[in-house]
Amino acid sequence: MPARQAGKTSASGPGRWYNSDKVQREDHNEASVAWEGVGHRFGARSVFSDVCAQVEAGQVCVVTGPNGSGKSTLLRITAGLLQPSAGAARISVNGQPLDAVARRPHLGYVAPDLTLYRELTGAENLQFFARLRGMTLSRDDLIARLSAVGLRGRGRDLVSAYSSGMRQRLKYAFALLDQPSILLLDEPTANLDVDGAAMVEQVIAAQRRRAGGGVTIIATNEPREVEWGELRIRLEPGR
Amino acid sequence: MGRVADTAGAGPVSAQAGVVTSSRPAWLSEAAALFAKDLRAEMRTKVAISAIGVFTLSALLLLGLATAALKEAQIPIPDTDLTRPAWDPAGKMALLWVLLCFAAFTGLAHSFVHEEETGTSLALRLSMPAGAVYAGKLAFNLALIFAVALVATPLYMLITGMPLGPPLVFLLVMIGGCTGLAGAATIVAALAAKARGTGALYSALGLPILFVFLALLLNAAKTVYAGPQPALDVVKAVGGLFSYGILLITVSALTFGFIWED
Repeated sequence: MPARQAGKTSASGPGRWYNSDKVQREDHNEASVAWEGVGHRFGARSVFSDVCAQVEAGQVCVVTGPNGSGKSTLLRITAGLLQPSAGAARISVNGQPLDAVARRPHLGYVAPDLTLYRELTGAENLQFFARLRGMTLSRDDLIARLSAVGLRGRGRDLVSAYSSGMRQRLKYAFALLDQPSILLLDEPTANLDVDGAAMVEQVIAAQRRRAGGGVTIIATNEPREVEWGELRIRLEPGR
Repeated sequence: MGRVADTAGAGPVSAQAGVVTSSRPAWLSEAAALFAKDLRAEMRTKVAISAIGVFTLSALLLLGLATAALKEAQIPIPDTDLTRPAWDPAGKMALLWVLLCFAAFTGLAHSFVHEEETGTSLALRLSMPAGAVYAGKLAFNLALIFAVALVATPLYMLITGMPLGPPLVFLLVMIGGCTGLAGAATIVAALAAKARGTGALYSALGLPILFVFLALLLNAAKTVYAGPQPALDVVKAVGGLFSYGILLITVSALTFGFIWED
Protein backbone atom coordinates (compact mmCIF):
# COMPACT_ATOMS: atom_id res chain seq x y z
CA MET A 1 0.00 0.00 0.00
CA PRO A 2 1.22 3.50 -0.69
CA ALA A 3 2.70 5.18 2.29
CA ARG A 4 3.26 8.79 3.00
CA GLN A 5 4.10 10.52 6.21
CA ALA A 6 1.60 13.20 7.18
CA GLY A 7 3.18 16.63 7.00
CA LYS A 8 4.59 18.19 10.09
CA THR A 9 2.75 21.29 11.16
CA SER A 10 3.88 24.37 12.96
CA ALA A 11 3.07 24.96 16.59
CA SER A 12 1.59 28.36 15.99
CA GLY A 13 -2.02 29.38 15.74
CA PRO A 14 -4.98 27.64 17.28
CA GLY A 15 -3.44 24.23 16.89
CA ARG A 16 -0.42 24.80 19.16
CA TRP A 17 -2.26 22.98 21.91
CA TYR A 18 -1.74 19.75 19.99
CA ASN A 19 2.00 20.14 19.67
CA SER A 20 3.80 19.61 22.90
CA ASP A 21 6.41 16.99 22.26
CA LYS A 22 8.36 18.31 25.22
CA VAL A 23 6.05 16.79 27.79
CA GLN A 24 5.57 13.11 28.39
CA ARG A 25 2.19 11.49 28.55
CA GLU A 26 1.35 9.73 31.75
CA ASP A 27 -0.20 6.79 29.97
CA HIS A 28 1.24 5.11 26.90
CA ASN A 29 -1.72 3.44 25.30
CA GLU A 30 -0.57 1.51 22.28
CA ALA A 31 -3.56 0.83 20.12
CA SER A 32 -4.24 -1.27 17.04
CA VAL A 33 -7.26 -1.92 14.86
CA ALA A 34 -7.86 -5.06 12.82
CA TRP A 35 -10.65 -5.82 10.38
CA GLU A 36 -11.07 -9.53 9.87
CA GLY A 37 -13.33 -10.32 6.91
CA VAL A 38 -15.72 -7.54 7.83
CA GLY A 39 -18.86 -7.30 5.74
CA HIS A 40 -22.17 -5.58 6.15
CA ARG A 41 -25.62 -5.81 4.65
CA PHE A 42 -28.64 -3.56 5.00
CA GLY A 43 -31.46 -6.01 4.39
CA ALA A 44 -30.76 -7.83 1.17
CA ARG A 45 -28.27 -5.22 -0.05
CA SER A 46 -24.62 -5.95 0.58
CA VAL A 47 -22.71 -2.75 1.32
CA PHE A 48 -19.23 -4.28 1.42
CA SER A 49 -17.71 -7.61 2.22
CA ASP A 50 -14.49 -9.25 3.30
CA VAL A 51 -12.59 -6.17 4.45
CA CYS A 52 -9.28 -7.34 5.91
CA ALA A 53 -6.61 -4.94 7.16
CA GLN A 54 -4.60 -4.07 10.22
CA VAL A 55 -3.74 -0.57 11.46
CA GLU A 56 -0.90 -0.43 13.94
CA ALA A 57 -0.03 2.22 16.50
CA GLY A 58 1.17 5.45 14.90
CA GLN A 59 -0.42 4.69 11.55
CA VAL A 60 -3.10 6.57 9.64
CA CYS A 61 -5.51 4.57 7.50
CA VAL A 62 -7.70 6.22 4.89
CA VAL A 63 -10.91 4.54 3.73
CA THR A 64 -12.12 5.72 0.35
CA GLY A 65 -14.93 4.77 -1.99
CA PRO A 66 -17.90 6.26 -3.76
CA ASN A 67 -21.07 7.35 -1.97
CA GLY A 68 -22.88 4.36 -0.54
CA SER A 69 -19.81 2.15 -0.53
CA GLY A 70 -19.94 1.88 3.27
CA LYS A 71 -17.12 4.14 4.50
CA SER A 72 -19.18 5.55 7.36
CA THR A 73 -20.62 2.10 8.08
CA LEU A 74 -17.10 0.67 8.43
CA LEU A 75 -16.22 3.43 10.90
CA ARG A 76 -19.40 2.80 12.90
CA ILE A 77 -18.59 -0.92 13.01
CA THR A 78 -15.07 -0.08 14.17
CA ALA A 79 -16.46 2.13 16.91
CA GLY A 80 -18.68 -0.71 18.11
CA LEU A 81 -21.79 1.25 17.24
CA LEU A 82 -22.93 -1.27 14.65
CA GLN A 83 -22.68 -5.04 14.56
CA PRO A 84 -21.13 -6.26 11.28
CA SER A 85 -23.07 -8.82 9.25
CA ALA A 86 -19.86 -10.81 8.80
CA GLY A 87 -16.39 -10.85 10.31
CA ALA A 88 -15.15 -8.70 13.15
CA ALA A 89 -13.54 -5.33 13.79
CA ARG A 90 -11.08 -5.83 16.61
CA ILE A 91 -9.48 -3.13 18.71
CA SER A 92 -6.66 -3.70 21.16
CA VAL A 93 -5.16 -1.20 23.55
CA ASN A 94 -1.90 -2.20 25.23
CA GLY A 95 -2.44 -5.69 23.82
CA GLN A 96 -5.81 -5.98 25.52
CA PRO A 97 -8.70 -6.77 23.14
CA LEU A 98 -11.71 -4.56 23.80
CA ASP A 99 -15.35 -5.38 23.09
CA ALA A 100 -17.81 -2.99 21.46
CA VAL A 101 -18.57 -1.07 24.66
CA ALA A 102 -15.18 -1.26 26.36
CA ARG A 103 -13.44 0.34 23.36
CA ARG A 104 -15.51 3.54 23.45
CA PRO A 105 -13.51 5.39 26.13
CA HIS A 106 -10.48 4.94 23.86
CA LEU A 107 -12.18 6.41 20.82
CA GLY A 108 -12.42 9.92 19.46
CA TYR A 109 -15.19 10.04 16.88
CA VAL A 110 -16.01 12.83 14.47
CA ALA A 111 -18.70 12.25 11.87
CA PRO A 112 -21.50 14.09 10.10
CA ASP A 113 -24.14 12.10 12.00
CA LEU A 114 -22.62 13.02 15.36
CA THR A 115 -24.48 15.94 16.87
CA LEU A 116 -23.85 17.83 20.08
CA TYR A 117 -26.57 19.52 22.11
CA ARG A 118 -27.87 22.58 20.29
CA GLU A 119 -29.68 23.83 23.40
CA LEU A 120 -26.41 23.98 25.36
CA THR A 121 -23.47 26.27 24.83
CA GLY A 122 -20.18 24.98 23.45
CA ALA A 123 -18.60 25.11 26.91
CA GLU A 124 -21.57 23.37 28.52
CA ASN A 125 -21.35 20.59 25.95
CA LEU A 126 -17.68 20.02 26.70
CA GLN A 127 -18.21 20.17 30.45
CA PHE A 128 -21.10 17.68 30.22
CA PHE A 129 -19.18 15.13 28.18
CA ALA A 130 -16.10 15.65 30.36
CA ARG A 131 -18.18 14.81 33.45
CA LEU A 132 -19.36 11.62 31.75
CA ARG A 133 -15.68 10.72 31.46
CA GLY A 134 -15.07 11.47 35.12
CA MET A 135 -13.38 14.82 34.53
CA THR A 136 -14.26 18.34 35.57
CA LEU A 137 -12.78 20.99 33.34
CA SER A 138 -11.61 24.21 34.91
CA ARG A 139 -12.49 27.50 33.21
CA ASP A 140 -8.95 27.84 31.90
CA ASP A 141 -8.98 24.36 30.49
CA LEU A 142 -12.31 24.95 28.79
CA ILE A 143 -10.89 28.09 27.21
CA ALA A 144 -7.78 26.18 26.13
CA ARG A 145 -9.81 23.40 24.54
CA LEU A 146 -12.13 25.81 22.75
CA SER A 147 -9.18 27.93 21.61
CA ALA A 148 -7.45 24.85 20.27
CA VAL A 149 -10.31 24.22 17.85
CA GLY A 150 -10.68 27.89 16.97
CA LEU A 151 -13.71 28.61 19.13
CA ARG A 152 -12.12 31.00 21.60
CA GLY A 153 -14.68 33.54 22.77
CA ARG A 154 -17.60 31.48 21.50
CA GLY A 155 -17.88 29.05 24.40
CA ARG A 156 -20.85 30.85 25.89
CA ASP A 157 -22.84 30.82 22.66
CA LEU A 158 -25.51 28.20 22.17
CA VAL A 159 -24.52 25.53 19.69
CA SER A 160 -27.74 26.32 17.81
CA ALA A 161 -26.15 29.68 17.02
CA TYR A 162 -22.97 28.08 15.66
CA SER A 163 -22.27 27.80 11.95
CA SER A 164 -21.81 24.31 10.52
CA GLY A 165 -18.04 24.82 10.53
CA MET A 166 -18.05 25.85 14.18
CA ARG A 167 -20.10 22.76 15.04
CA GLN A 168 -17.53 20.64 13.24
CA ARG A 169 -14.78 22.30 15.30
CA LEU A 170 -16.70 21.61 18.49
CA LYS A 171 -16.93 17.95 17.50
CA TYR A 172 -13.12 17.86 17.53
CA ALA A 173 -13.04 19.34 21.03
CA PHE A 174 -15.51 16.62 22.04
CA ALA A 175 -13.56 13.84 20.33
CA LEU A 176 -10.25 14.89 21.89
CA LEU A 177 -11.59 15.34 25.43
CA ASP A 178 -10.00 12.24 26.86
CA GLN A 179 -6.85 11.87 24.75
CA PRO A 180 -8.22 8.93 22.76
CA SER A 181 -5.85 6.26 21.47
CA ILE A 182 -7.94 5.85 18.33
CA LEU A 183 -9.36 8.63 16.20
CA LEU A 184 -12.18 7.80 13.78
CA LEU A 185 -12.77 10.70 11.42
CA ASP A 186 -15.58 10.56 8.91
CA GLU A 187 -15.28 13.39 6.38
CA PRO A 188 -12.86 15.13 8.73
CA THR A 189 -12.80 18.55 7.10
CA ALA A 190 -16.48 18.77 6.17
CA ASN A 191 -17.69 22.37 6.55
CA LEU A 192 -14.26 23.55 7.69
CA ASP A 193 -12.37 26.50 6.24
CA VAL A 194 -8.65 26.48 5.44
CA ASP A 195 -7.66 27.08 9.07
CA GLY A 196 -10.01 24.35 10.18
CA ALA A 197 -8.49 21.89 7.72
CA ALA A 198 -5.03 22.82 9.01
CA MET A 199 -6.22 22.16 12.55
CA VAL A 200 -7.39 18.69 11.53
CA GLU A 201 -4.03 18.02 9.94
CA GLN A 202 -2.33 19.02 13.19
CA VAL A 203 -4.63 16.74 15.18
CA ILE A 204 -3.73 13.80 12.95
CA ALA A 205 -0.01 14.60 13.09
CA ALA A 206 -0.14 14.81 16.88
CA GLN A 207 -2.06 11.56 17.06
CA ARG A 208 0.62 9.88 14.98
CA ARG A 209 3.34 11.19 17.29
CA ARG A 210 1.66 10.48 20.60
CA ALA A 211 3.54 8.30 23.02
CA GLY A 212 2.73 4.67 22.43
CA GLY A 213 1.34 5.57 19.04
CA GLY A 214 -2.22 6.50 18.28
CA VAL A 215 -4.29 5.11 15.46
CA THR A 216 -6.21 7.33 13.06
CA ILE A 217 -8.80 6.06 10.60
CA ILE A 218 -10.24 8.51 8.09
CA ALA A 219 -13.20 8.03 5.76
CA THR A 220 -12.95 10.49 2.92
CA ASN A 221 -12.76 11.04 -0.81
CA GLU A 222 -10.93 14.36 -0.63
CA PRO A 223 -7.62 13.93 -2.51
CA ARG A 224 -5.72 16.02 0.04
CA GLU A 225 -7.02 13.96 2.96
CA VAL A 226 -6.26 10.70 1.16
CA GLU A 227 -2.60 11.79 1.19
CA TRP A 228 -2.62 11.91 4.99
CA GLY A 229 -2.65 8.13 5.34
CA GLU A 230 0.00 5.53 4.63
CA LEU A 231 -2.61 2.78 4.58
CA ARG A 232 -5.49 3.00 2.14
CA ILE A 233 -8.58 0.89 1.75
CA ARG A 234 -10.92 1.38 -1.18
CA LEU A 235 -14.47 0.17 -0.80
CA GLU A 236 -16.60 -0.57 -3.83
CA PRO A 237 -20.39 -0.75 -3.51
CA GLY A 238 -21.62 -4.31 -3.13
CA ARG A 239 -18.17 -5.87 -3.23
CA MET B 1 -11.65 12.96 45.50
CA GLY B 2 -10.28 13.34 42.09
CA ARG B 3 -6.72 13.99 41.09
CA VAL B 4 -5.37 16.86 39.14
CA ALA B 5 -3.93 15.55 35.92
CA ASP B 6 -1.13 18.05 35.66
CA THR B 7 0.87 16.04 33.20
CA ALA B 8 0.49 16.83 29.56
CA GLY B 9 1.43 14.74 26.65
CA ALA B 10 2.34 14.52 23.06
CA GLY B 11 -1.14 13.37 22.23
CA PRO B 12 -3.81 15.51 20.68
CA VAL B 13 -4.96 16.76 24.03
CA SER B 14 -1.83 17.84 25.67
CA ALA B 15 -2.81 20.81 27.80
CA GLN B 16 -4.33 18.94 30.68
CA ALA B 17 -3.62 21.44 33.44
CA GLY B 18 -6.76 22.21 35.38
CA VAL B 19 -8.48 18.96 34.49
CA VAL B 20 -9.73 17.20 37.54
CA THR B 21 -10.37 13.52 36.98
CA SER B 22 -12.34 11.35 39.34
CA SER B 23 -10.78 8.04 40.32
CA ARG B 24 -13.37 6.13 38.29
CA PRO B 25 -16.55 7.51 36.82
CA ALA B 26 -19.41 5.63 38.42
CA TRP B 27 -22.77 5.13 36.75
CA LEU B 28 -24.34 7.21 39.49
CA SER B 29 -22.26 10.30 38.75
CA GLU B 30 -22.81 9.79 35.02
CA ALA B 31 -26.55 9.52 35.56
CA ALA B 32 -26.44 12.66 37.72
CA ALA B 33 -24.60 14.52 34.95
CA LEU B 34 -27.21 13.44 32.41
CA PHE B 35 -30.01 14.48 34.76
CA ALA B 36 -28.41 17.89 35.26
CA LYS B 37 -27.93 18.28 31.50
CA ASP B 38 -31.57 17.37 30.79
CA LEU B 39 -32.75 19.76 33.50
CA ARG B 40 -30.64 22.59 32.13
CA ALA B 41 -31.80 21.96 28.57
CA GLU B 42 -35.42 21.72 29.67
CA MET B 43 -35.21 24.95 31.67
CA ARG B 44 -33.81 26.59 28.56
CA THR B 45 -36.19 25.20 25.93
CA LYS B 46 -39.21 24.34 28.12
CA VAL B 47 -40.41 21.86 25.50
CA ALA B 48 -41.64 19.16 27.89
CA ILE B 49 -42.83 21.64 30.52
CA SER B 50 -44.85 23.55 27.93
CA ALA B 51 -46.38 20.39 26.47
CA ILE B 52 -47.33 19.03 29.88
CA GLY B 53 -48.42 22.43 31.20
CA VAL B 54 -50.70 23.23 28.28
CA PHE B 55 -52.26 19.77 28.34
CA THR B 56 -52.76 19.69 32.11
CA LEU B 57 -54.18 23.18 32.45
CA SER B 58 -56.54 22.83 29.48
CA ALA B 59 -57.69 19.40 30.73
CA LEU B 60 -58.29 20.81 34.22
CA LEU B 61 -60.22 23.75 32.79
CA LEU B 62 -62.35 21.44 30.67
CA LEU B 63 -62.93 19.12 33.61
CA GLY B 64 -63.90 22.02 35.83
CA LEU B 65 -66.48 23.28 33.35
CA ALA B 66 -67.84 19.83 32.47
CA THR B 67 -68.15 18.51 36.00
CA ALA B 68 -69.31 21.66 37.83
CA ALA B 69 -72.81 20.24 38.27
CA LEU B 70 -71.52 16.78 39.11
CA LYS B 71 -69.10 17.95 41.80
CA GLU B 72 -71.51 17.92 44.75
CA ALA B 73 -74.40 16.05 43.14
CA GLN B 74 -76.01 13.22 45.09
CA ILE B 75 -78.11 10.42 43.64
CA PRO B 76 -80.63 8.42 45.67
CA ILE B 77 -79.91 4.81 46.51
CA PRO B 78 -82.90 2.77 45.29
CA ASP B 79 -85.33 1.49 47.96
CA THR B 80 -83.77 3.67 50.66
CA ASP B 81 -83.90 7.29 51.78
CA LEU B 82 -80.13 7.50 51.49
CA THR B 83 -78.08 9.22 48.80
CA ARG B 84 -74.58 8.70 47.48
CA PRO B 85 -72.25 11.01 45.52
CA ALA B 86 -72.98 10.94 41.79
CA TRP B 87 -69.20 10.92 41.23
CA ASP B 88 -67.53 8.93 43.97
CA PRO B 89 -63.99 9.80 45.23
CA ALA B 90 -62.42 6.66 43.76
CA GLY B 91 -63.82 7.62 40.34
CA LYS B 92 -62.42 11.11 40.79
CA MET B 93 -58.99 9.70 41.60
CA ALA B 94 -59.14 7.37 38.60
CA LEU B 95 -59.73 10.37 36.36
CA LEU B 96 -56.83 12.20 38.05
CA TRP B 97 -54.54 9.32 37.05
CA VAL B 98 -55.88 9.34 33.52
CA LEU B 99 -54.99 13.03 33.40
CA LEU B 100 -51.51 12.48 34.89
CA CYS B 101 -50.95 9.53 32.57
CA PHE B 102 -51.69 11.55 29.45
CA ALA B 103 -49.70 14.49 30.79
CA ALA B 104 -46.73 12.21 31.45
CA PHE B 105 -46.84 10.61 28.02
CA THR B 106 -47.21 14.02 26.40
CA GLY B 107 -43.99 15.34 27.87
CA LEU B 108 -41.85 12.42 28.93
CA ALA B 109 -41.62 10.97 25.42
CA HIS B 110 -39.50 13.99 24.67
CA SER B 111 -36.55 12.65 26.65
CA PHE B 112 -35.48 9.84 24.29
CA VAL B 113 -37.23 10.83 21.08
CA HIS B 114 -35.45 14.18 21.15
CA GLU B 115 -32.05 12.52 21.59
CA GLU B 116 -32.72 10.21 18.63
CA GLU B 117 -34.23 12.83 16.38
CA THR B 118 -31.46 15.35 16.89
CA GLY B 119 -28.71 12.72 16.67
CA THR B 120 -27.26 13.42 20.11
CA SER B 121 -27.86 9.81 21.18
CA LEU B 122 -24.70 8.87 19.25
CA ALA B 123 -22.56 11.14 21.43
CA LEU B 124 -24.24 9.66 24.51
CA ARG B 125 -23.59 6.11 23.34
CA LEU B 126 -19.94 6.94 22.87
CA SER B 127 -19.66 8.59 26.27
CA MET B 128 -21.64 6.62 28.83
CA PRO B 129 -22.93 3.09 29.48
CA ALA B 130 -26.55 2.18 28.83
CA GLY B 131 -27.36 1.66 32.51
CA ALA B 132 -26.32 5.21 33.37
CA VAL B 133 -28.37 6.59 30.48
CA TYR B 134 -31.45 4.77 31.73
CA ALA B 135 -30.90 5.93 35.31
CA GLY B 136 -30.41 9.56 34.24
CA LYS B 137 -33.47 9.60 32.01
CA LEU B 138 -35.59 7.85 34.65
CA ALA B 139 -34.50 10.37 37.30
CA PHE B 140 -35.45 13.26 35.03
CA ASN B 141 -38.83 11.72 34.20
CA LEU B 142 -39.46 11.03 37.90
CA ALA B 143 -38.69 14.66 38.77
CA LEU B 144 -40.94 15.89 36.00
CA ILE B 145 -43.93 13.68 36.84
CA PHE B 146 -43.64 14.44 40.57
CA ALA B 147 -43.58 18.17 39.76
CA VAL B 148 -46.64 17.79 37.55
CA ALA B 149 -48.48 15.78 40.22
CA LEU B 150 -47.53 18.36 42.84
CA VAL B 151 -49.13 21.16 40.83
CA ALA B 152 -52.00 19.30 39.16
CA THR B 153 -53.31 17.29 42.11
CA PRO B 154 -54.26 20.21 44.42
CA LEU B 155 -55.86 22.02 41.47
CA TYR B 156 -57.75 18.87 40.53
CA MET B 157 -58.93 18.42 44.13
CA LEU B 158 -60.12 22.01 44.16
CA ILE B 159 -61.97 21.66 40.86
CA THR B 160 -63.57 18.26 41.39
CA GLY B 161 -63.87 18.25 45.17
CA MET B 162 -61.85 15.04 45.44
CA PRO B 163 -61.22 14.37 49.15
CA LEU B 164 -57.81 13.64 50.58
CA GLY B 165 -58.76 10.46 52.45
CA PRO B 166 -56.20 9.02 54.88
CA PRO B 167 -53.19 11.29 54.23
CA LEU B 168 -50.50 8.61 54.50
CA VAL B 169 -52.28 6.15 52.20
CA PHE B 170 -53.03 8.98 49.75
CA LEU B 171 -49.37 10.03 49.76
CA LEU B 172 -48.15 6.47 49.24
CA VAL B 173 -50.55 5.94 46.33
CA MET B 174 -49.37 9.17 44.73
CA ILE B 175 -45.69 8.25 45.16
CA GLY B 176 -46.22 4.68 43.91
CA GLY B 177 -48.33 5.89 41.02
CA CYS B 178 -45.85 8.55 39.92
CA THR B 179 -42.93 6.11 40.19
CA GLY B 180 -44.68 3.49 38.07
CA LEU B 181 -45.83 6.10 35.58
CA ALA B 182 -42.31 7.49 35.15
CA GLY B 183 -40.93 3.95 34.81
CA ALA B 184 -43.50 3.05 32.16
CA ALA B 185 -43.07 6.31 30.26
CA THR B 186 -39.25 5.99 30.26
CA ILE B 187 -39.03 2.51 28.78
CA VAL B 188 -41.86 3.06 26.30
CA ALA B 189 -40.20 6.31 25.18
CA ALA B 190 -36.92 4.43 24.66
CA LEU B 191 -38.66 1.77 22.58
CA ALA B 192 -40.55 4.33 20.53
CA ALA B 193 -37.42 6.43 19.96
CA LYS B 194 -35.41 3.46 18.73
CA ALA B 195 -38.31 2.43 16.49
CA ARG B 196 -38.25 5.99 15.18
CA GLY B 197 -41.94 6.12 15.97
CA THR B 198 -44.07 8.92 17.22
CA GLY B 199 -47.40 9.16 18.95
CA ALA B 200 -49.19 6.18 17.43
CA LEU B 201 -46.41 3.71 18.15
CA TYR B 202 -45.89 5.21 21.58
CA SER B 203 -49.53 4.55 22.46
CA ALA B 204 -49.43 1.03 21.06
CA LEU B 205 -46.28 0.14 22.99
CA GLY B 206 -47.52 1.76 26.15
CA LEU B 207 -50.92 0.09 26.26
CA PRO B 208 -49.97 -3.35 27.64
CA ILE B 209 -47.66 -1.83 30.24
CA LEU B 210 -50.15 0.82 31.27
CA PHE B 211 -53.20 -1.44 31.38
CA VAL B 212 -51.88 -3.44 34.33
CA PHE B 213 -50.54 -0.31 35.98
CA LEU B 214 -53.85 1.58 35.75
CA ALA B 215 -55.76 -1.44 37.07
CA LEU B 216 -53.48 -1.49 40.12
CA LEU B 217 -53.89 2.27 40.52
CA LEU B 218 -57.68 1.94 40.47
CA ASN B 219 -57.50 -0.77 43.08
CA ALA B 220 -55.30 1.44 45.26
CA ALA B 221 -57.64 4.42 44.71
CA LYS B 222 -60.58 2.36 46.00
CA THR B 223 -58.53 1.52 49.07
CA VAL B 224 -57.89 5.19 49.82
CA TYR B 225 -61.58 6.00 49.98
CA ALA B 226 -63.07 2.73 51.22
CA GLY B 227 -63.05 3.92 54.82
CA PRO B 228 -61.46 2.05 57.71
CA GLN B 229 -60.32 -1.39 56.62
CA PRO B 230 -57.77 -4.01 57.65
CA ALA B 231 -54.20 -2.80 57.37
CA LEU B 232 -53.38 -5.90 55.34
CA ASP B 233 -55.77 -4.83 52.57
CA VAL B 234 -54.15 -1.39 52.44
CA VAL B 235 -50.67 -2.95 52.33
CA LYS B 236 -51.76 -5.32 49.55
CA ALA B 237 -53.25 -2.53 47.43
CA VAL B 238 -50.48 0.00 47.92
CA GLY B 239 -47.78 -2.70 47.95
CA GLY B 240 -49.08 -4.06 44.66
CA LEU B 241 -48.73 -0.62 43.14
CA PHE B 242 -45.16 -0.20 44.42
CA SER B 243 -44.22 -3.75 43.45
CA TYR B 244 -45.35 -3.22 39.88
CA GLY B 245 -43.45 0.07 39.66
CA ILE B 246 -40.26 -1.48 41.05
CA LEU B 247 -40.65 -4.56 38.84
CA LEU B 248 -41.15 -2.38 35.79
CA ILE B 249 -38.08 -0.29 36.55
CA THR B 250 -35.95 -3.35 37.32
CA VAL B 251 -36.92 -5.18 34.13
CA SER B 252 -36.47 -1.96 32.15
CA ALA B 253 -32.99 -1.43 33.60
CA LEU B 254 -32.02 -5.00 32.70
CA THR B 255 -33.32 -4.81 29.14
CA PHE B 256 -32.51 -1.19 28.35
CA GLY B 257 -29.01 -2.03 27.15
CA PHE B 258 -30.42 -4.18 24.34
CA ILE B 259 -32.73 -1.36 23.24
CA TRP B 260 -30.06 1.32 23.51
CA GLU B 261 -27.37 -0.61 21.67
CA ASP B 262 -29.69 -1.87 18.94
